[in-house]
Amino acid sequence: MFRNSPMIGSIKRRLFASAAVAGGVLLAVTLNTPAEAVPSYARQTGSDCAACHVGGFGPQLTPYGVKFKLGAYTDTDGKDGKVPLSAMAVMNWTRTAKDLPEAPAHFNSNNNSAVQEVSAFLAGRLTDSIGTFVQATYSGVDRVSSLDQLDVRYARALKIGDKEGVFGVSFNNNPTLTDPFNTLGQWRFPYTASDFGFGTGASPLVENLAGSVLGLNAYTLWDNNFYAELGLYNSVSKSTANKLNNSQVAVGAIDPGKFSGPGTYWRLAYFKDMKRDNFSVGLFGFNARVENVDDPGRADRYRDVGVDAAYQFLGNREHIFTVNASYVREWQKLNYTFDTLAASENKNNTLNNFRVATSYHYNQSWGATAGLFKTTGRADSGLYGASSYNNKPDTAGYLLQADWTPWGKESSWGAPWANARLGLQYTGYSRFNGGSHYIDEVNGVDRKASANNTTMLFLWLAI
Amino acid sequence: MIMEPMRRRGALVAGCLLLAVAGHALAAGDARRGADLFAEECGDCHSAVPGKNKKGPTLTGVNGRKAASVADFAGYSDSMRQSGIVWTSDRIDAYIAAPKKIVPGGKMKYDGLADAAARADVIAYLLALK
Repeated sequence: MFRNSPMIGSIKRRLFASAAVAGGVLLAVTLNTPAEAVPSYARQTGSDCAACHVGGFGPQLTPYGVKFKLGAYTDTDGKDGKVPLSAMAVMNWTRTAKDLPEAPAHFNSNNNSAVQEVSAFLAGRLTDSIGTFVQATYSGVDRVSSLDQLDVRYARALKIGDKEGVFGVSFNNNPTLTDPFNTLGQWRFPYTASDFGFGTGASPLVENLAGSVLGLNAYTLWDNNFYAELGLYNSVSKSTANKLNNSQVAVGAIDPGKFSGPGTYWRLAYFKDMKRDNFSVGLFGFNARVENVDDPGRADRYRDVGVDAAYQFLGNREHIFTVNASYVREWQKLNYTFDTLAASENKNNTLNNFRVATSYHYNQSWGATAGLFKTTGRADSGLYGASSYNNKPDTAGYLLQADWTPWGKESSWGAPWANARLGLQYTGYSRFNGGSHYIDEVNGVDRKASANNTTMLFLWLAI
Repeated sequence: MIMEPMRRRGALVAGCLLLAVAGHALAAGDARRGADLFAEECGDCHSAVPGKNKKGPTLTGVNGRKAASVADFAGYSDSMRQSGIVWTSDRIDAYIAAPKKIVPGGKMKYDGLADAAARADVIAYLLALK
């Protein structure tokens, strides 16, 4: 999902400074966590939304949802004539503790309400073995449209001896989009966030590639327990990016950069579904070399390695409790940025990203979620000095959300067509860009981290 | 109650016969526990609502029903259609203990419920569905 408001622009600059580098960056099209909710899957399977999603609304998957995804979105109730189309809209009102450094185009410096996004999905079974999750989105904040998420899968069951598994292939445009668990960049809490907010700090390259790469991944869930995935990615050309995303590339603000050789994504996890509850533990990583399109040769190298774990208590679905956590460390070797551009202080940098969230849902209708986020990294005056007093990217804080999902259950009114979530989300910052105070780049003044504290009221609809 | 010797002997024989029968019959389950287990083990794919089919057919009225006979459910496997099963308590018990053993080639993606008492609870719940 591409967002490009002026407010976000300054965040993007920081992001690029950490996850990639000026002049050689990949287009980072996902800053806020995108929202997805796809009722066409419910119509296809005859199941209620709550079968696949914790709390009766996407995207946090239950084991049933995990297996539906890994089966290439092809499970069905056997009836023909299902149309794999859905639509979604997210509306919100956002207030920040202090006014935004500058008012986004078409909006005010605070207390903004917006139809943040409207999406159409091609989502469902195409053949017995092929299914899709394809999302096109119009951003009511940026006033642009884009091919948002792309995941076309083929999967089939395989039996070896007395063991069975599912094997699949995914053609997609985002490394963590393919993951079936609720811990990696694309799918972790918060499941929606305001475009008028300040995000959760710099993040590793693997979490900033949506829409700027295309990849082919092979995966398996073997014996219901062992998940493995390997993907090869290449960056899309500037012209392709322009066609797919009405983006900063289109207005020439950012050089998209390109991979030097394939980017490699890998994932290993152990998953245990005991029906009443379930857990997963895993490892993942991403490696890529990024070079400047107009000055190829030297490339900055990024190596991301992460660990993650998740637990869900589902019981009889009346009281649902979840915990999701992940930690990612990125090693950056800035051959181009340091040697050629002299734009970083260090040739070798690190970035660390920790996230944890826990949720409780009652009767698949009333939800409360609390999360912590923390980003730390090596001080680098070239990368972070413009906005950080100590030249560090360190950002930390918490997220609180309460929500109500009136429908989405088997007996719900209008099921499976009527789907809505009404929520209130609060983001509090203890650190931003290095400390409790940072430099507002736009106005060149001091700003407290807590000035960015953000309250968002949202209404999320899907049909 | 004091029994006369002959009557006592008769009662003993009857008790042994009952035990012998019970060796092949299900223990009585708890339908309330069965409702919770149904939600945990079965509810994602099966509904207890009459006429509501998901990936699997509704289980309301399953007792005494011929396999693959829910008229408006289109997802049966050929194996299930040809199984010839009539769903009694015993057959349900055997099936949910080891689905792939009872109906090889069936579509149900379920490894089975090993706990006999839990199966009895689920069956008690299913039999209570109207």
